[in-house]
Amino acid sequence: MSAKAEVWQGTLALMVLKTLNAMGPQHGYGIARRIEQTSEDLLSINHGTLYPVLLKLEQEGAIASEWGVSENNRRAKFYRITRAGQKQLASEADQWVQATKIVARFLALKGAKL
Amino acid sequence: MTRTLRRVWKRFLGSLSGGRHESDLAEELDSHVRMLAEESIRRGVGPEDAWRRARLQFGSVELTKESYRDQRGLPVLDTTGQDLRYAFRGIRKNPGFATVTILSLAIGIGANTAIFSLVNSVLLQPLAYNDPQRVFAVRELVFNSRGQGSVTPINPVHAREWAKHCPSLEQVALMRSGSTNIVIGGDPASVPSADISHNLFALFGVEPILGRSFLAEEEQKGNDRVVILSESLWRSRFDADASVIGRSILVDGQNQQVVGIVPAPMRLPYHGATNVRFEIFRPLVLAPAELSRLMGNFNYAAVVRVTRGVTAEQALAEMNAVQARFPAQLGRKEALKVTLTSAHELFTGRARLGLWVLAASVGAVLLIVCINLANLLLARIASRSREAAIRTALGASRGRQFRQILTENLLLAVSSGALGILLANWIIRLLAGATTLDIPRLDEVHLDLSVLAFACCLTLLTALVFGALPAWRFTRTDPQEALRAGSHTATEGRRGLRFRECLISLEVGLSTALLIIAGLLAASVTRLLHVDKGFDVDHVLTVDVRLAGNLYADPVARGNFFDRLLPRVTAIPGVQAAGVVTYLPTLGQTWNDPIYLVGEPRERRHPVDNRYASPGYFRTMNIAVRQGRAFEESDRRQGVAVLSEKAAKLLWPENPNPVGLLFMGEDDKLKTLVGIVADVRADLHSDPPPTAYYPYWQRVPDEVALVVRTTVAPRTAAGALRATLRSEDAQLPIQAIRTMEEVVDRSIAQRRFQLTLMGVFAASALLVASLGIYGVISYSVARRRNEIGIRMALGSQRSQMLRLIIRQGMTPVVLGIGAGVAVGLLLGRAIRGLLFAVQPTDRLTIAAVTVVLLLVGGLACFIPARRATSTDAVAALRFE
Repeated sequence: MSAKAEVWQGTLALMVLKTLNAMGPQHGYGIARRIEQTSEDLLSINHGTLYPVLLKLEQEGAIASEWGVSENNRRAKFYRITRAGQKQLASEADQWVQATKIVARFLALKGAKL
Repeated sequence: MTRTLRRVWKRFLGSLSGGRHESDLAEELDSHVRMLAEESIRRGVGPEDAWRRARLQFGSVELTKESYRDQRGLPVLDTTGQDLRYAFRGIRKNPGFATVTILSLAIGIGANTAIFSLVNSVLLQPLAYNDPQRVFAVRELVFNSRGQGSVTPINPVHAREWAKHCPSLEQVALMRSGSTNIVIGGDPASVPSADISHNLFALFGVEPILGRSFLAEEEQKGNDRVVILSESLWRSRFDADASVIGRSILVDGQNQQVVGIVPAPMRLPYHGATNVRFEIFRPLVLAPAELSRLMGNFNYAAVVRVTRGVTAEQALAEMNAVQARFPAQLGRKEALKVTLTSAHELFTGRARLGLWVLAASVGAVLLIVCINLANLLLARIASRSREAAIRTALGASRGRQFRQILTENLLLAVSSGALGILLANWIIRLLAGATTLDIPRLDEVHLDLSVLAFACCLTLLTALVFGALPAWRFTRTDPQEALRAGSHTATEGRRGLRFRECLISLEVGLSTALLIIAGLLAASVTRLLHVDKGFDVDHVLTVDVRLAGNLYADPVARGNFFDRLLPRVTAIPGVQAAGVVTYLPTLGQTWNDPIYLVGEPRERRHPVDNRYASPGYFRTMNIAVRQGRAFEESDRRQGVAVLSEKAAKLLWPENPNPVGLLFMGEDDKLKTLVGIVADVRADLHSDPPPTAYYPYWQRVPDEVALVVRTTVAPRTAAGALRATLRSEDAQLPIQAIRTMEEVVDRSIAQRRFQLTLMGVFAASALLVASLGIYGVISYSVARRRNEIGIRMALGSQRSQMLRLIIRQGMTPVVLGIGAGVAVGLLLGRAIRGLLFAVQPTDRLTIAAVTVVLLLVGGLACFIPARRATSTDAVAALRFE
């Protein structure tokens, strides 16, 4: 097992949305690279696991896709965030911050008591 | 929430779009891996190592695809889609089998649906009356002193007394049906009409859709110039114009004011005319004379509605108590009673048995088709046992395989169901247009929701019957055994064969029963066609002539009309003879009046059928004059009569030569018997009644049938006949001019219809069953090819082998025939009412059916058996 953090699907979806929101339309490879870079290579994902997440987001209408040409002239599918996706991102980001705050407070509290 | 719904919807769509995304996905993943590899190469990693790393970093492409696919569609839909695709492929691979299956099932489902729609609207749908089970039609029963009863219509006095003295009757109404000449916009037409009591519509619970019903005072002479139209007449002739209420129209030459419109179709429980749609209603006005005769004038139809909560038996008892008073008042010995027939019974009674027989037969045909398909599928599945074994070995669950086979069969059934509904629609339209069939409410038959629901259920049921069993057997194959054995030696066990032989017996048995019924019906129709009618149908043309209105109110005027008309018709070129008569034979119409000898007591009076005719009538119809002569013009000065042989026997049982004697005839007047003629059937289905004929001038009828005997083909004289009638009276509505052959034909149309359908059903049953026998034998012979080869190599004779195979094939057939004959005998007794002059145990029919089935079955066995034994032994063995 590598020391790099494992990542679960719910968070992956949030990361995908955030990435697409920040960078504009991207293909699957680009998204995966960007997530790895942003986490400063602390996070390792099997790039394959990205695709079911992309499908789910697309089915929910948070992202849309179309075929285009990549920077090195290869046919690739580009994903972009939709307006519904931006709303979803905003609300889920809020929830996430809220959740981490609570957890962090708990952890701090426990440390003080001990 | 909406997000989840959206996702399910997308996945549903994803399931439907199938393989289109598959290449997209592959390309997308492929380009991703390629980009990973290219990046490594840019960083200076060797190509081989770069690809390896890329794959590692990506993870398993196949696993990704798998989880992607699981999320893309809905798994249930996907497997169903897979099953369907597989089923389509199976059908494409074997189009012959699919075509035969779909067509035979479609015909079965279509015919069943059509017959069901007939049964549904004729027998099952309630009448358009309010609370119809309380409505009854009444007939009177007169018993003479010897206790013999005859059924008659209603005497209006009696009906009034019931209304007064029977508390169990809520309402009593009278009516008399006929036809009426109306003139709308200068266009004369004759339509079915009824003169009715003012409360008739209220009795049925039918409200006029426009205007009002009749009032009680409109039954008085002088107030009766009002008329009610049916909705259909109003729509077709008056363009549904509401302003017609209050307007006057010309009915039978009289101006009558339209006061109401009643909803269509308006049917009345009128004996003998239950399939007539009445179009015009007038108030029934009873003449004082009609209300003065206590025994006689049985000329009306009556309906009653019994009070809620009262049984028909109670009402009957009360009415019979009233009835008993009338003969007593006159000091007569006859007994008088009534019968009650429920409206529903009256409307369906005659057609019921026939329709149920048809429904049962068509059901049996479908069952045979299903059995046959099951048999075929069983054979196919036995040969697919290797396939099943391989699938099971590869891990396909039993349920999944069952579902797959069932899907295949369901697909076949649904296609046939759709085709069958189209077919049914076509048949129904054909049936509803068949106006010659005396089936009440036939024109109401149509494809409605309940019929469609029936067709759908039937489709699913057939799929279950012919599909589930084979599917079940398919999944029961033991994989080890099936795989170990070579495909050709993997025979189904003895039990499987037994089972299929039972199915053959069942098929043959059902076919036998159907053929027997069809045979009995065929024999009935043949005998009916060849029965001695007492007259000659060839070269006779007939047309109804109705003299109505003010112009013909006087009998003398009517008499003059016929006196002028007949010589002119006889003078038409090609016409040999012409005559008129009040009722044509074979139509079932009679008019009873007694004949008796002068001074005889009342109980020696004989009710006979009365007909008024012209002198030329007997010559025209070729009714044989046995003694004396027909009427002549010279008879005008005296009262004369011609009697049929039976009628003469009633009056003079001992006297062989009564011509010239006197008797009391119509209207209790003295008549001289001038001749005796052959008995003529008033109704094709029953023996000729005793009949008395009187010259038309003795009581001029207002409605007659004109008959014309031609030397040329009768149809060619129709134009001249029409022109002659028109030249006598341009206002005369002329109904269809028909040949006597068509008239007779019409009276057996229903039987013929039944026979045709039964014939078609039985023939298809025979065909399907013989295909089934053929299929099973050729299959089992093909399987035993090497066994046959070995036997013949060891010295078996060809004929011996042939006999062996045929005996094996014929065993279930013979068993089936035996069972079928037994069932046929039972059914024959049940359908006795449909037979004419044929016993249900008719030996000839049963023998013929047995022979036909033995021959067909034998042939179906012989062909494959011969083919199997004619290959030489070496080839058969090498086949392995």
